[in-house]
Amino acid sequence: MESSVEAAVVIKSVRVKASRERAFSVFVEQMETWWPATHHIQKDPFELIVVEPRVGGRWYERTVTGQECDWGTVQGWDPPNGVRLSWHVGPGHDSPDWVADMDPAKASEVEVRFTAVDEGTTVVELIHSHLERHGEGWEQLRALFDGPGAWVSILEAFAKKVDEEDAL
Amino acid sequence: MDTYLQAGLDALGDATRMAIFQRLANGPLAVNEIADTLPVSRPAVSQHLKVLKDAGLVQDRRDGTRRLYQLDPEGVARLRAHFDQMWTKALSSFQEAVEKPAKEVRGGKQRGSSRRN
Repeated sequence: MESSVEAAVVIKSVRVKASRERAFSVFVEQMETWWPATHHIQKDPFELIVVEPRVGGRWYERTVTGQECDWGTVQGWDPPNGVRLSWHVGPGHDSPDWVADMDPAKASEVEVRFTAVDEGTTVVELIHSHLERHGEGWEQLRALFDGPGAWVSILEAFAKKVDEEDAL
Repeated sequence: MDTYLQAGLDALGDATRMAIFQRLANGPLAVNEIADTLPVSRPAVSQHLKVLKDAGLVQDRRDGTRRLYQLDPEGVARLRAHFDQMWTKALSSFQEAVEKPAKEVRGGKQRGSSRRN
């Protein structure tokens, strides 16, 4: 159980023939030019994907009609070295679609680092961590193992309450 | 039913689910084995198991005439596979975009004019 939670990380890297500055700029300022068109939350496809260039900034998709939906927030902003974003899009528990849940406890984290190999080559490393936060119940499950008995006492209190009701 | 009791029921829904988790952590069980140790009906346990199953946290399998439920360690693995695929696709088209001559990158889209700041 614990091992699968620890393994809830995706690490990717790609080497691009471009300067760090250009790689960083295309990544955060022109995301809609490369983001897979199949991955959008709203009914209509996105026209823009915006990462606001500051800590606390929004990361969101926008349709051609101006409908916006947040994907996350900027946690770290250090051009052209890297950017750190929270990611709030996970499987909807009441729907088959993916949804954005802005509860910070349900957000994973995407960190992207840009390292120069030489003037015209950059290695882009991406680490998407805390994926377990998108799975309903994992946190509670951990809490449960951390503190056995917590739920038992709730159950007992409830059973007692029901008994009182029945006695009335 | 008064609101206090309703709140208690809501909490129970959650607490029962947790209690089911706790029992399954010790090994696979059938619905009646879970229900026998909890102050709730068998249909209620089945309902909770369905929620847990839909969330990818519990899986079931047939064992002779019985259906056994167990924790599904694959829940997170499936999430991971999804994101792995997504970023593979995203980074490969990112590489394409970044290596294009700069003037070709923008498809004439105006950005900034209507951005909220």
